[in-house]
Amino acid sequence: MRRSHREDDALGLRVVVVQPPDHGPRIAEGLEVLAGRATLEIVHDARRCLSRCDAGDVDLLVLDARRRAEVQSVLAATARSGGPPAIVIEPEAGDARALAWFRAGAVDCVSAEEAPKRLGTAVAEQLARDRARRTARGGDLGFAGNREVMEQLNSALVVVDLEGRIVYANPPAEQILGAEGSLHGADAGKRFRSGKSEEPLLLRTLRGGERFKGAEALVSRPDGSKAPVGISCAPITSPEGRRTGAVAIFQDLSEATQRRSHALQTEKLASIGQLAAGVAHEINNPMGFIHANLFQLAEYTEDLQRVWRQVEALRHAAEGADPTAVRIAAEALDKASQEADIEFVLGDLAKAIRESQEGSERIRHIVQDLRDFSHQDTGERVFADLNQCLDSTANIVWPMMKHVVSLEKDYAELPPIGCYPMQLKQVFMNLLVNAFQAIEEAVGESGELGTIALSTRIEDEQVVVSIRDSGVGIAQEHLERIFDPFFTTKRVGAGTGLGLSTSFGIVQGHGGTLSVESVPGQGTTFQLRLPLDAEAPAAS
Amino acid sequence: MSAEGTLTLLILDDESRILSALRRSLRREPYEILTAESVVEARRVLDAEAVDLVLSDHKMPGITGLQFLEEVAERHPEAVRMLITGWTETIDPKAVDALGIRAVITKPWEDAALKETLRRAAKEVG
Repeated sequence: MRRSHREDDALGLRVVVVQPPDHGPRIAEGLEVLAGRATLEIVHDARRCLSRCDAGDVDLLVLDARRRAEVQSVLAATARSGGPPAIVIEPEAGDARALAWFRAGAVDCVSAEEAPKRLGTAVAEQLARDRARRTARGGDLGFAGNREVMEQLNSALVVVDLEGRIVYANPPAEQILGAEGSLHGADAGKRFRSGKSEEPLLLRTLRGGERFKGAEALVSRPDGSKAPVGISCAPITSPEGRRTGAVAIFQDLSEATQRRSHALQTEKLASIGQLAAGVAHEINNPMGFIHANLFQLAEYTEDLQRVWRQVEALRHAAEGADPTAVRIAAEALDKASQEADIEFVLGDLAKAIRESQEGSERIRHIVQDLRDFSHQDTGERVFADLNQCLDSTANIVWPMMKHVVSLEKDYAELPPIGCYPMQLKQVFMNLLVNAFQAIEEAVGESGELGTIALSTRIEDEQVVVSIRDSGVGIAQEHLERIFDPFFTTKRVGAGTGLGLSTSFGIVQGHGGTLSVESVPGQGTTFQLRLPLDAEAPAAS
Repeated sequence: MSAEGTLTLLILDDESRILSALRRSLRREPYEILTAESVVEARRVLDAEAVDLVLSDHKMPGITGLQFLEEVAERHPEAVRMLITGWTETIDPKAVDALGIRAVITKPWEDAALKETLRRAAKEVG
């Protein structure tokens, strides 16, 4: 996809709207303010949108995110080929959604509800930004004439020369970078540090011409504090094709980062809640019948006492010589026995006790499982038996899934592995709960059982833990995104979209890998691989 | 109703120990008690016998008590329907009303309250 920009000014700017052909968010209404300044085209699907972009004269995309998969594919394709920037119209409220779209490469995200009001401004801003970028590609870094536009941007923008010195920073950039005085001439390499690799992204753009879109980095301020930013970098080239510098647009993610850690906490609480509910139910059933049985046993005891009193009376009568008294006592005994239904009571007494004992044994087991699960876990790195970690987690989640799942286990003998057991148990729990939910969705109310197969083995100096389910499976277009933060296909409230990304992070932190294979309609297998000599880093 | 005029009560719970304990709790009450450990079994009983009262567990494999009672409401509308559950929080009161369920009993149950609830339900059997 190539973008060849025409020389015309605001007039004739081309905005392509991708929206399914039904009543959706009022996008056209939101764009009315642009009337006369931009032309609007509406297409109905990703394929047509991308072939439209190929023509090279599209300045901006507006994507209706009701069809998530399609919007994701458009964003992925334009990111690959340096296509036009895209604004996403998100049908659901929430910062998490917006953040996810930014990460997917959108330049802005407007909620469907706000679209009629805010979309026009958002589009105007993007077009201005785009123009600024284009002009910045002109001679002498060429940004001078657009200073006014760049000063007005909400996003932070810096331009650096080939030596990596900052030649321009707009006010938001000064604010994020913590400028005291001018940033002019400051070493960008010292200010931008990538979160993942040593060389700052902006410098990689300078040296290799690499483009980044929606990447994460850290900026360092003169006072020593740091701030996470979402950053996009692009090289600036002269008309002759010579690289003359680079431009970076970035946003302060501190708030977003805090939201993310808050959401992680929520995720943890949600799984604890689910767990507690499962355990409570499992204890409640035996509790229910033990409680009722004890009540009846108390009644049986009273019945027996009443009968026994008549037995005593009969023995007294028998010691005397009065046959009438004996007969009366015997009749009273018969009557009491009948009233107490003593035959039944004697028969049921032992049964009630046996059943109650069995119930209390079940509760004892559950408590034992809980103890195994949290077994002396101090949250520190220890050498642990992964089979035991997996098994104790499976025991804990078993009660909530036993109605729809049959569990198969095939464990190989494993040497102790250096790890953080509680973290790995959290991973196992996430995977098991997902497997259970996938099966629940597959079997519905048919009363059939799905299968979860747990296996461990050693392969190529690695411990391989595999969790396979016979659930609904994961659609191809979702597979590559399931480890992304906030990505979820669960209904609202059922998942925060952080379970798998957290799991992925934990396994990575152990020097291992977490991978997935899935066939829609047949099931999913997650495979966790840890090196046998796992040297887990310090807990984060 | 059985030939002697006692009311017939069907109890459905996938936990046999619960059935056994409920039988014990109700042994001196004037019902002919039938029990079923699965929905399949319960359907068989309903087809074969004239059942006046149905008491069903909620969380069971493959089907919820509410779904089963909905089925009972369609096929045996004359039977008074009740639910017993440890999961009051997941039961939608609107669904309970819509299905004409007379009582929701929670586990563990109190003996006296259970008997009283059933007695009141029994009065509604016409």
